[in-house]
Order: sequence, then structure tokens, then C-alpha cells
Amino acid sequence: MLFSLLILTAALAIGQTVLVTGTVTSSDDGLELPGVFVTVKGTTLGAITGPDGKYSLQVPAGSRTLMFSFMGYVTQEIAIEGRNTVDVVLKQDMFNVEEVVVVAYGTQQKRDVAGAISSVKGSDIAMMPVQSFDQALQGKASGVTITMPNGVLNNPPVIRVRGYNSISGSSSPLIVVDGVPIFTGDVSGTNAPSNALADVNPSDIESMEILKDASATAIYGSRAANGVIIITTKKGTVGKAKVTYDGYFGYTQPYRLFDVMNAEQYIEHKNLARANNPASGLAFEFFIPTDAEGDPIDTKWSDYIYQTGFQHNHALTISGASAATSYFLSLGYTGQEGMIQNNSFVRQNVRLNIDHKLNKYIALGANFSYVNSLGKAPNTGSLAGSAFSTAGAGRLAFVLPPNLGPYLNDGSYNINGSAIGNMGQPVANYGYYNPVPIFDLNEFSTETDRVLATLSLTITPIKGLALKTVYGIDNLSVEDNVFQTGLTGDSYASNGYVYNRFARPTRWTWTNTANYTATIAEKITFSLLAGSEQQYTNNVSWTGSKTNYNDSFFNDYQGAFVTAGMGGGGRSENYFQSIFGRLNFDLSKKYYFEVSVRRDAFSGLAVDNKWGNFGGASVMWNLSKEGFMSGVNEFVSDMRIKASYGRVGNMSGIGSYASLFLYSSGVYGAVPMWQFTQAGNPDLKWEASDKYDIGLSFGLLNDRIQADINWYYNDVNDLILNIPQAPSQGIPGNVVPGNVGSMFNTGFEFSFTTYNISKPNFTWTSNFNFSTLKNEVTELAPGVTELLGYTSGLELTNRTVVGLPIGNIWAVQTNGVDPTTGRRIFVNKDGDEVLYSHENSNKWTYRDDGSVAPVISLATDGKAAGSPLPKFYGGIDNSLTYKSFDFNLGLTYALGFYVYNGSKAGLRDQRWWNNSVEVYETAWKAAGDITDIPKPVFNDNVSNGSAMPITENVEKGNYLKVRTISAGYSFNKIPGNSGIEKIRLYAQVFNAFVFTNYTGSDPEVSSNGDTNLSPGIDRNSAPQARTYTFGINLSF
Amino acid sequence: MKNILKISLILLMAFAVAGCEDYLNPVPETQLDASLAFETKERIVGQVNGLYAFMKSGAFLGGRYFVYNDIRADNFIPKSTNLVTGYATWNHSLLGSRDEVQNLWGAIYSAINAINIFIEGLDQNKTDGNLEGLITDAEYNQYKSEALTLRAMCYFDLLQLYAQPYNKDNGASPGMPLRLTANIIGGNNDLARSTVAQTYTQILKDLNDAEPLAAATYANALLRTTRIHKNTIIAFKTRVYLHMNNWAAVKTEAAKIVPAAAPYVAPTGAPLALSSTFAAIWASPYTTAESILSMPFTATNLAGTQNSLAHYNHPSSSESYYLNVTGEAFLALNAADARRVLFQTGTVSGVTRYFVGKWQSYTVQSDYAPVLRYAEVLLNYAEALVKDGNVVTQQAVDLLNAVRTRSYPAGAYTLASFADAAAFNAAVMLERNIEFLGEGHRNMDLLRTMSTIPSKGGLPTVPPTSASYIWPIPDSEISTNKLMTGNGN
Repeated sequence: MLFSLLILTAALAIGQTVLVTGTVTSSDDGLELPGVFVTVKGTTLGAITGPDGKYSLQVPAGSRTLMFSFMGYVTQEIAIEGRNTVDVVLKQDMFNVEEVVVVAYGTQQKRDVAGAISSVKGSDIAMMPVQSFDQALQGKASGVTITMPNGVLNNPPVIRVRGYNSISGSSSPLIVVDGVPIFTGDVSGTNAPSNALADVNPSDIESMEILKDASATAIYGSRAANGVIIITTKKGTVGKAKVTYDGYFGYTQPYRLFDVMNAEQYIEHKNLARANNPASGLAFEFFIPTDAEGDPIDTKWSDYIYQTGFQHNHALTISGASAATSYFLSLGYTGQEGMIQNNSFVRQNVRLNIDHKLNKYIALGANFSYVNSLGKAPNTGSLAGSAFSTAGAGRLAFVLPPNLGPYLNDGSYNINGSAIGNMGQPVANYGYYNPVPIFDLNEFSTETDRVLATLSLTITPIKGLALKTVYGIDNLSVEDNVFQTGLTGDSYASNGYVYNRFARPTRWTWTNTANYTATIAEKITFSLLAGSEQQYTNNVSWTGSKTNYNDSFFNDYQGAFVTAGMGGGGRSENYFQSIFGRLNFDLSKKYYFEVSVRRDAFSGLAVDNKWGNFGGASVMWNLSKEGFMSGVNEFVSDMRIKASYGRVGNMSGIGSYASLFLYSSGVYGAVPMWQFTQAGNPDLKWEASDKYDIGLSFGLLNDRIQADINWYYNDVNDLILNIPQAPSQGIPGNVVPGNVGSMFNTGFEFSFTTYNISKPNFTWTSNFNFSTLKNEVTELAPGVTELLGYTSGLELTNRTVVGLPIGNIWAVQTNGVDPTTGRRIFVNKDGDEVLYSHENSNKWTYRDDGSVAPVISLATDGKAAGSPLPKFYGGIDNSLTYKSFDFNLGLTYALGFYVYNGSKAGLRDQRWWNNSVEVYETAWKAAGDITDIPKPVFNDNVSNGSAMPITENVEKGNYLKVRTISAGYSFNKIPGNSGIEKIRLYAQVFNAFVFTNYTGSDPEVSSNGDTNLSPGIDRNSAPQARTYTFGINLSF
Repeated sequence: MKNILKISLILLMAFAVAGCEDYLNPVPETQLDASLAFETKERIVGQVNGLYAFMKSGAFLGGRYFVYNDIRADNFIPKSTNLVTGYATWNHSLLGSRDEVQNLWGAIYSAINAINIFIEGLDQNKTDGNLEGLITDAEYNQYKSEALTLRAMCYFDLLQLYAQPYNKDNGASPGMPLRLTANIIGGNNDLARSTVAQTYTQILKDLNDAEPLAAATYANALLRTTRIHKNTIIAFKTRVYLHMNNWAAVKTEAAKIVPAAAPYVAPTGAPLALSSTFAAIWASPYTTAESILSMPFTATNLAGTQNSLAHYNHPSSSESYYLNVTGEAFLALNAADARRVLFQTGTVSGVTRYFVGKWQSYTVQSDYAPVLRYAEVLLNYAEALVKDGNVVTQQAVDLLNAVRTRSYPAGAYTLASFADAAAFNAAVMLERNIEFLGEGHRNMDLLRTMSTIPSKGGLPTVPPTSASYIWPIPDSEISTNKLMTGNGN
């Protein structure tokens, strides 16, 4: 910000002037302040104080006010009142009331912002052992939920700003980095996820602004409905070159792993289950084989899957600025091993941000960053779509029997074709894979190269007018490499498999803006912005695969294989064209008005629907400037009431060619063919949201306590829904998209920052935020009563129906276990209790009279079993400094939601699957036993919820998480002439604890990734990771 | 200063004219806009091949359709209990929500809609005169006959799993919703089920319409095996009439392509005949004169994961099905029988098991999937000859022997082998059971004769009165098609 103020010039105005001089000192220590900007209010005239804190300035006659501003200090306006000497004591901005926030296409003083914007400093997240900044935003901002799906490295978190704003499309916000919307989401096609946002090194970030209401986002028009996150990278600040090094190392571990039966417990339990089922099909009992040493086998499979991973991170920056030029250069290296074996993430990046003022009219800016990242992961079964993979490590860790070993006694892998070998057990074929050979031999990696760059030119032809053109590119290359051995596992049948994919999404964005700012009669300040924007995105990818290796020696695509697969890939392009404008206006800093409009065209829509109009408006009233408040100014230092409305859009659900009717080509045997594959919709248009917001901001006790309170109501309409078609129509995909649905999100947001203690040697600052969310679907497509949400395409777990929140968990009600018979009590649609006995020919019988009951099914007997959307959520951050010590505690919490604990269904399944120790200890054994776990009957996959979700496995997810604990010590006075100014050493625990009654691994989970229709599902996912780090911050 | 102003003005004008209409109307480069689909002959032929490709979906004739029809019956025991690979079909515990129930239905109706779109498009373009110079009338007729025949096959195959057999009540039971027009933009959800009889009427109408339009034959064996010609239609009609117990019609149709006495070679059109050896049918290039219609595969055009016949029949697959050694077919097979010789063996839980060896390419899984073989026509004919009059004839015995003695010369029957028509019928059914192991005939044969599905692997039998005798209707159809009714299971 300092740099942009330098653009102010000291041009002499024509006419009579008066010389004003003075000294600026600090209230803190009384010392003179050099570098303070002194300006004549309402003009561009100004001066900068010298090393002695003195300034002198020719002030036009009739000027009434001088403004003194300096970073870290509260800006003051002083009436000249005819004086020739104006001395000023500047107060330190202890409570950050002077903060500047980044808004769409510009910046504003935080207090001038009428929209709902949460601001998070880069320094708050830079030290966290995460891969991308979005992972670190959890609990930092009101109205924003961040869900880490699990502990797989670089798995993109689920980001929701003010609830769910789409059903078929994405509900993820638009991400704008240094003015350019960038690619988001998982760009990998392998088991190693690759979050596109990880290509912005968190330590390069100056600030993150989350734009929540329509007045803040409306200028982004058709992409604003899900909120906007604006990332601003660092710039150099005036002064000599500053060099910093930040590094940490640490280790990461899984936590809250499942406690499963050991071999002895396993055979005892499974043999009991076998005895309880005469039709078990098991010819003999399970037993414990012995290993090569003659010891009984007792395999703890999680030991072969999880590990303690080592992580280290280094960031070196050089920055500085002169009056004309500022620069920021950074180098970063991140090397992380995950808590899952073979899971790793390596990132190397460079960034150069440079701004240069050519002369008083022209300024140039350039940001350039290059990032290379390499992710590796086994099949964790934890990414969307893979929950039921028989290779999924998260599941293999608990499903495999402990009486099987990874190796046979001759040292070879224990395998039987694709699956694990049975070691003589009565189960012929376990079907599931032995994780050891597939961990040893298979490889899945994704490497990305990314150039994010912007070039800008700003011309200031006349006072107050800035013409700016910004050209940005986002060039991403992704290379996926997959190798699967032919020895066992997924590619056993094809005798080895390699797959390569190279994708090159590229985008350019060209933005032109004209911004005119002026002050009229010292009272009215207005700012008028007009602009145009174009964005072109091109997606090109190719894929190739081969099977049947000539020799198991070959494990990459370039190797020799017998069979080459059909090459594939894709090509698409899309284009945005927009014009937009904004008018900001304030009267005496008391009354604020803002209007913004945007007109967008998107190439993916049909000819007649390409263009859409969006806009928003806000008003703000600063009560604290009113006379009637003067009596309480001592207590209420600031108070503002805000209101906004806007209509914004969402296009994330619209494909590049969504409106077209298309044929795709392939082969029939060896001859070419064309097939009708896409039913388009020529009437498709944007999804739109009407957003309302009312806010109250206040500062108490000289702004020692600052608060923002907002109420919002977000009416999402024209939702694009894939309207389910009767499958007998034979429409490709059995859906046709249409603008048919509606939904709302509403809630309150409370955000408090309190400066509890602010002594020089002792500070204590607290941030507390609390948000509520009520989401309700109000309309689906005509004739559609529900939208189904599947987990990995197999298990129907969620339904979206009118009158309830999106993605309700759907399950058959169960009422525990009948103590007399030990059978699971199901409740049918009529409310009758029905018992299930797997081994009987009449499996379903009424509990009351034992008569045969109709089969229970999810379709007929399922019911809404709870919403996976937290009703309340937020974060609590406390920072303490005492002398050279600093301490931080970051908590996040979410309340009032349900999780479908599908993993529990697996952990209690009575096939040969291993079970939790809880099953061993508490399963029903004799009449009168009171328990949640029914009589074990071998092969029973119904009683515990594998066959269909049951309410027994739907649990409250309430949690409080200790997200970060850190403690540091700073050495400020370094002896000698090392050049080191400051050393800080710190230790941190990330994901330290979770307090919850949830019985799964972690209630913060999303087995289905960034999904709208099936959230809140915990199915066979790897757990979250806890990470301990030790770091150093050096500045020279 | 003036220059700066000029530059600024130019820049401002640049914004004003910025934007590019071409960018706003991108044309896909890897897919074809529907309006261009009938522009060249290559595309029209491509669409015809596309219809076959719909049929060849892994969920349908690419593999799974045959598998379901086999594993429902008594010949197979699964290695795996994976529900994804048909376990619930095998143990008769299917619900309308199961994948196979929904996916097969979806695959067949996708094919039907593609056929309807093609027929309408072809006819519209014909009416508009757009086809002149592109294709000849004969080609137009041929393409249309192929489309109609494929539609008939789709409805016939739907009936086999989703409806009661015709012979239960002469087709009075609920059949299929008959979709006979193109659905392009959706919304046409509600359509009630026609009866089984009405569905058969439509199937026969399509086949009878198609027969005179069809190509007599094709230039090479590959085309004769993978594209429909006149004798394909006739052969398929013998199957349709057989399922309706319309013996006279079976005889009429069969007589068109089966001479009264050996050698059995179709007298006109494609020279259908039995392969000299059983093994040759299953060996590359898979295009013997016996293979009337098969789904072709290449290494780069496969049925997909867990779909191929090899996946379900090969001993190397962890999810394959081995032969039930107490099943009628296995018990009846002589060790010298070529069909037995073709079996593969594998060890399951330490026990040697037998697997149908018709699809031996496991690593690539590109062996063709047989839809219709001449051997079936001969057996259809033999059965109809005897059942129409209940007298065993030499012609019927010869037809039966033609199939049987090819693989097992020592097993030749004579007229004296059969005490009565029932004995002959039993022998034909047994022969079908043996001959078509793995080809998806067993369940169809059990159901059309209203037989109880025998027990296997400890499972109870499924009598025709059981709700499990046929598949349920998919939940997704019932929930979207308000006029749809279920099968009571």
C-alpha cells in the first residue's frame, strides 16, 4: 500500500500557496517518525517526512486540512486553522483499524467497506504444515467452512462460503490470485490428488479476502454466487533489502486409527459367527497359521499402510523497494511425506513480483510465479469415487483378517491372483488385495508445472483517473503416471498396466479498467470504475495406456508392452466476455453507497442465452460520526450499519458445450462409428442467486473490541439440475440439464476481535467467530421428488428433497438390538419393528409375533436421518506474546450435523471382514444381552448396515478441534555482525486433538470430495493426520 | 501529457471493441453436432455401426447379459461374493436398486433410443431428399433393416429378465414400455408397460418389416458375423417364435435357412453352416459360418472392467464362476466331448474346478461374444419339429445329431434312442444346456418352459411362482416413470 501512495506527487499547484512545516512523532516512544505521508486533503499535494520526522509543504491558500498517514499508525486529519507549523503525534494502530482490504478490482479501507468481507493475513497461515492455503483457512473466517476430506496429502478441501449455492454445479468459490481467476480443484487423474491451489505457496501470500455478500461479489457477476476468495501476493516495502528465511521440519502421523481384532479374537469371533450360520459355506473353522519362525500369525495391517512421515519446508524471500521500484522475490521448497506409506508431496517454486513507476503517468507491474509439484500416493480409497475400491488402503487397513500375513513362509507375497491368498483358510477367495505388493510395486504420481503471471500497466493521465490494463496467464501442465503390476491387484488380469495422461489447461485473462476517484467539497468522495474483461480457457489433454508387459521390468509408459490401448484425451475451449462498472460514493464518511453491475457472456450457453446481467448495491451508515453518538464515543468508538442486495450467477455446472446435441465417435470392433452421446439444452442459462445481507460493525473501548455481525439470506434460483429422465427414454446419462431448482441459505455470522492485553511486553489477542447456517431446498425439477446422492457410485447414502437441507443422509431406521434374540431391529415404513436373521430362509420377521415381514429396503423404508450440514460452526484463535515468547492456539468447531459412519458398517460386517474390538467384546451372545451389535451370523452383511445405510451408523458429528498449537521464542538482539536481525524458533502441532462423541475416525470427513449431493459420508477413508513441526524464522 | 492522453484514449477504445464473437461460439473438435450426422455416407454408416456399439455395451451384449442369464441358472458357482459381479443375481436376492438391474435396463434402452433416433433421422433425411447421392435405396433399406432388427433384439432381451415368460399366460403379463420414437430432449417420462404379448407383437413386426429390406449377405465373413443380414433376421425369428411356443412358425422360419437334410447349409444368402469343429468357433478370427451374429472385440475395443465373458468364465479371474459339478450339464458331459475338452481348470480353495473355456484370452479379453449361432437354429428347429405334433422324426434326430456329434461322435442318437417325444425334448434341452454353456441360454430355456430354476451351491430352488423367478424392475424407472409398474419383487 505504501507504494501506491508514492504515486501521489508533489506537483506544485498554480496559485497562491502557504508554507506549512512541522514534526511528526510517535505516541509510543515520542521519537520522530521518518517517511510519514503528509497530504493536503482533497488534493494530490503532499510531502514525506525526513529522517528527523520533519516535513515542509506548500499548501494552497484556503486549504483546511492536512492528512498524516504512516503504516502501522492511525491516519490523522488535522485542521490547519491558518497555522504555519503543524506538529503531530501519531498514534500506533494497535488495533488494526487502519487495515486496508483488497476488494474486487481494487482496495479499500476496511472501515469503508459496506460489503461482507472477511480478511485473513498471510502470516496467519504461512507456518502451517499444509499444502495449500485453503486448507489453512479453516475456522479463520465467519461464514466459511473448510472441510479436509482426510489425511491424504494435497487432497483439495471442501470450501463453502455461506452454505451450498449449487446442486449440480460446484459450490466452490471463485479464486482470484492477483486479479486473475485461476484454475481450481483436483487437477490430477491419479490416486495422488493435486489441488490446483497448492501452486500458490502459502508463504508468498500477503492477504486473503473472502467476499461473501452480493455487494462485494456482484462485480464478478456470473461467477460470484459461491463467494470469491481474493489472494494477494506479497510486495516489497520501502527500505533496504530485506531477506527472510522460514523453515520447518516435522513429522506426521495418522490419529484415531480403528481398534480392530487381533488374530485370536478374530478366529474366536468368526468361528462363533460361522457356528451361528449353518449355511455359512465354510467347510471348516478359521485358524491361525504360523509364520516361518513357527509363531502364530497376527498381522496388524495398519502397520503396513500407515507410517510416520517426515516433512520439511523452506522459504527464502528477498524484498525491498525504492521510491520508484518495489520487488519481492521468493524461493520455496516443500518436501512432505504423508502418514500413508508412499504418499508424498514435493513442491518447488519461485516468485518475482515487481512494480515500477516509469514516470508520473505510467506505472508497470509484473507478477511471475513458476511452480513444480510432484505428488505420489497409493490407492488410498479416500478420494471421491474410490471408497469401495478393493485396493483402497484406508479400507485394507481394517478389513483384512489378522490371521493372514502379507508374505508366505517362503518369503513370497501372499497372493492369489489379483487378491490376497487365503493361507488355507475356509474362505476361497478374499477378493481384497494384499497391500504390501501393491504398495511395493504400483506407482501413481502426478506432476504439475504451473506458470501464473500477470503484467499490468497503469496510466494516470489526469488527477484521480487511473487507466489500468492487466493481462494474466495461468498455464498449467499436468502429467499423470500410473503403473500397476501384473503380479497381483487391479492389473493382474491384464498382466501389468501403464497409463499416462498429459493435460494442459491454459487460460488468459485480459482486464481493462478505468477508475476515477475524486473528492468534492471535501465532503463527498466518489469512485467510479468501468471495465471490461475477457477470459479464454483451453483444455487439451491426451492419454495413453498399455497392458501386458513384455517383462515385469517395465513399469512406465515408455517401456515395452504387448498391447497398446486406445489413446484418448480431450479438447475443449470456453470464453468469457464481460463489461462491468461500479460506483462508490460517501458523504462525510457517514453515508456510503455502492452500486456495481456486470454483464457476462459465456460461450458454453446457447446462442440466445449467452448474455446475462448481474449487479448489486449497498448502503452503510456510520453512526459513530453522528452527533447523537458523541456522548458514548468513549465506549462505542465505531458503529456502522450496512445493508446490501445483489443478484449474482453461477456457471460452474455448465460445460463448454452444454447446449449442443452431440455425437461421439469410437469403434465397433475395428470399424469407426458414431453414437449419440449428449442431449443438450438450448434453453440453459446461468444459475442465479438473490443475496441479501444486513450487517452491524462496531468497535468498543477505543476499538479494543471489534465486531462484525451479519445476517444473510441467499435465495438461489434457476438452479441447473440434471432432471432425471426415465431410463426407458434412453437419453444419454438419463438426465437433461435445466434451470429448474431453488434453494436458500440463511444465517448469522458473528466475528469478534478483542485486544485483551496490549502492553509492550505482553499482548493477548483473541479472534472468535461463530456462524449459523440453515439450508433448505425449496424446489426441484417438475415431477422430481428427490435427487439421489451416491457414495462412490455404489451406495445410496443421501437424498436431496424439497423442505430439507441439501444432501440429507438417508437410512433405514434401526432400534438397536432385540435383547431376546440378538437380532437387529429394523423399522419399516409403517413403523413396525422387523427383525433380520441372515441364516433363515424367512430373513425378515415381525418382532411382535414372529410372522414373516416384507423385505426391508432403503427405497421403501428409508427416511431422512439427519443433515450433514453443520448448523453452527466457527473458530477461536488466541495469540499471546510475552517478552520474547509467543503462543498461539487455534480451535475450530462445528455443531448440529450428522455423519454417516459407513466405515462402521464395514467394521461390523459379518463376512470374513475383520471387525472392531468393540464387536468382539460387545456383540450379542446370550438372551438378555443389551448391546448395539447383533448376534454374529457369518456372511450377514445386512444387520450392520453394509447392504443399506441404517440409522445405527448415522451419528452426530459435533466436534471441537485443536487445529494448531504453537509456541515460539524470538531472539531480537543478535550479537555480532551476522546481519541477522531476528531469529524466531517455534514448535507447532497441527491437528492436535479432536473432542467429539463421533465413533469414526474423524467427523471432519468427506469421502465424496467436493460434492453437493452426498456430503457428510465417512466411508473407508484414511483418517486425518496430526503433524508436529519445529521451525525457524530468520530475517536479515 | 498530450501523448499520454492519446495513448489512454486508444486504450479506452481498445476495451470498447474488445471481445471476439468467434470465441463465444466455439465448435467442439472431438464431437459432432447432431445437425451434421447425416451429411456423408461415412457418418451414416458410422451411425449404423454406432447402434451395434450400443448393443455391445459391457452391460449388455458385450458380456453381462449372457452372464446374468447363465448365473441365474444352475450351472455356475461364483468364486467371489462381490455384488458388482453378479452375486445377487446368482443367489436370487436382487432388488430394484441393484446395479445390474439398473445398468442392463439403461444399456438396452439407450440402444433402443439410439435406434429410434437413427430411424427417424434416416427417414426424415430421406423425405427431405438429403440422402440422394449419398446412399442408394438398397443401402437405405439395409440400414433400416439393421436398426429394426436391433430394436427387436433389444425388446426380446429385455423380456427375458424383466418380464414373465410368454408361456406363463400367453403373454398377458406386463411386458415392456414400448419406446418407438426418438427422445432427444427428455421430459417424455411416463409410459406404461405393454403386455408381454404386445411386446412380442412389436418384436415380430420389426423383424418382419426388416426381413425384406435386409441385405442378402455381405462380402466377407467379418461383416457376416458382425452385421445383420437377411438370414440373421430369420435365425433370430426362430428364437422368438420358440419362446412363444409357436412351433409352426419356428418350422417355417427355420426351413428358410436349414435344408431338409444334411449338409445343413443355408441355401440362400449368407451361407450359414456349422463350424466343422467346436473349438474353431472360439478361435480367432471368430467368424465361422456358424457365427450368425457376434459382438467383435479388439485389444483397443473391449467390454470394460468386470464386463467381459472372460472375466466371468476364466480361471484366472478372481471373480469368475466355475462349473457346478452337480449341475445337469456337467454331469451329462462325456470326457471325450469336445465341449468338455475345451474346459479350463483352476484351483479354488485347493480344489480343482472347471471353467467354460470358450473365452480363453484372459490377458486381453478380446474374444468375441456370440449372440446367435447356427447350432441354435438347428436345435430350435429340432425342438419345434417334435413339439409340433409330439412325434419324434428322423429329421429332428438328424438336426440334434448334427450339433451333438460334431463334438461327441460317440453320442449319436437314433430314432430308437427316444421312447417318446418327451424323451426327445429332454435330450434337446440337455443338448442346449451343454452346447451353450456360458452363452446365456440356460435361464431363457428354463423360463420359456416354465421350469423351476434348480438349486445350486446350497441355494433353494426358484419355482415359477416365486417372486424371484424374474428380475425386478429398476427403482430408477419406477421413480421417474409414473405409469411404470414393478414385478412384485
